[in-house]
Amino acid sequence: MPKILVVDDEPHIRYLLELTLEELEEEGVEVITADNGQAALEIIRDEEPALVFLDVMMPKMSGFDVCNAVKNELELGDVYIVLLTAKGQEFDKQRGQEVGADLYMTKPFNPDDVLAKAREVLKR
Amino acid sequence: MNSITLGKVLKRRPFSPLVTRLVTTLATPLVIEEADGTLLLATEGERAVTCYPVTVQGELIGRVYGDEKASLLASLLSYHAEIELERKHLGNETLHKYREITLLYETADKIPFCMEPREIASFLLEQLRQVITFTSATVLLQDKETGLLEVLLAEGNEYRPGARLEPEGIMGAVWASGKGEIVNDAATDPRFVNRPTTVSSLMCAPLHSKESRIGIVMLTSATQRVYLAEDLKLFTTLASQAAVQMENAALYLQLKAAFYTMVYTLAETIEKRDPYTGNHTKRVMEYSLALGRTLNLSDEQLQRLELAAVLHDIGKIGVRDDILLKQSKLTEDEFQQIMRHPVFGEEIISRIPQLSDIIPGVKHHHERFDGRGYPDGLSGAQIDITARIIAVADSFDAMTTDRPYRKGFPFEEAFEELRKNAGTQFDPEIVEAFFASDVMDAYFTANARLA
Ligand SMILES: [Fe+2]
Repeated sequence: MPKILVVDDEPHIRYLLELTLEELEEEGVEVITADNGQAALEIIRDEEPALVFLDVMMPKMSGFDVCNAVKNELELGDVYIVLLTAKGQEFDKQRGQEVGADLYMTKPFNPDDVLAKAREVLKR
Repeated sequence: MNSITLGKVLKRRPFSPLVTRLVTTLATPLVIEEADGTLLLATEGERAVTCYPVTVQGELIGRVYGDEKASLLASLLSYHAEIELERKHLGNETLHKYREITLLYETADKIPFCMEPREIASFLLEQLRQVITFTSATVLLQDKETGLLEVLLAEGNEYRPGARLEPEGIMGAVWASGKGEIVNDAATDPRFVNRPTTVSSLMCAPLHSKESRIGIVMLTSATQRVYLAEDLKLFTTLASQAAVQMENAALYLQLKAAFYTMVYTLAETIEKRDPYTGNHTKRVMEYSLALGRTLNLSDEQLQRLELAAVLHDIGKIGVRDDILLKQSKLTEDEFQQIMRHPVFGEEIISRIPQLSDIIPGVKHHHERFDGRGYPDGLSGAQIDITARIIAVADSFDAMTTDRPYRKGFPFEEAFEELRKNAGTQFDPEIVEAFFASDVMDAYFTANARLA
């Protein structure tokens, strides 16, 4: 069963992403959530989700750090990582590239885009 | 219908570990199942017959079996499911807002690239469709001379683009007041005008640019709907963005027209040096476009093709008059001079940044499909499609028109020549397109008239 991991320290963003992805759950996709970088990293290592929506700005371990650990240390290149950044906030695109993120999206996100992206990634 | 299941409620953290603990603490046989009977949780021991329903807003979503303690659990689950449902409603509302906000950002980012009013209108409708439900839409612009509203774009109704309407009914009221309107029950509105397309509910918003009102947009629904004030607000905002863009586009189109005039004048000036070629450039451009359309080139490619065809020989400006206009046979050295015109052309055009994308068309119009042309000896698909097209158009016109040293061939001979050289000098696909293009129609009509 394919898995999607949602990582954000803000509970309402986690919930909104879960709600957006609910349609996929009915099709057999499992949506898991994590509220910090460390927990996210453990879940990614143990469960190898196909897709991760990962908030950049998190206390202690940032989304950049998590992404870097997954792509460059654990070498889990197949895990598709979407970095979530806040609209209006400076986003270091070069850093995003360096840590190997596959895509970045701004918050507030367009639910249609999130769902479309998830379907596309899961189809692979 | 409740879009919530007991299974989902039970799974949600931190509620799920709480329920597990509660069940352990109650220490009594319990069974929790989904409304459809799917088992969600069962403790050891005999299943009790007493059943307590779990409900949300009066609807059954599951059952708890057990002794009277189970009734407590059922109430707790009902209560929590209620909260969960409420949260879901709020969440969905927020997601709808997210959709709207991102739509506005997207519009602001994308719209500057739309330049034709129709394209802008169609983009507007595409955006609206994502947030508002409607079955038909009409975008109308005021015709300044007559004051009538002219249909620019219509979807899902009987209006045809170009049709001009008297500003009457609800449309007329919105046009006159400049204020958007919601009419949820059209049949009861005395201003409503019945037309072939069924309309039960509608919204109408003005297209307001910076200073003036330039048109209106009408959205209608065949079935009864309840449009809200906030729908109209979003609709009006998106419509205004489109209106401002239409005004900008009009300025851009003026600028573009001025640019094209300049390019044409430049090409004509060069052609005047060689009176024998009379209108060669214009014909090459027309033949090229006919070929381009037959080959289904995109609008962008056709635009490049047009400009490249008009300017293909601009490099001849760098060839001395006594060589360019020489009537007797050219010496080898003089011929070398003439063969430099595509490169001169490239040099001239590369100084105009707006024309940088037509360089391949100009520089390579004397390349040959088999690689034996000049200046770079490119072959096949290495030669830009516009250059391959211009090569055919240019040769055909050169063959069929009179030159100082010879008469032009009859068309039939030129056709034969194209066929013979397909695959060597010319791209065979383009030669094939030539015989399927409008150029042939023109030839047939001319012949029919002669006969
Ligand atoms: Fe030429």
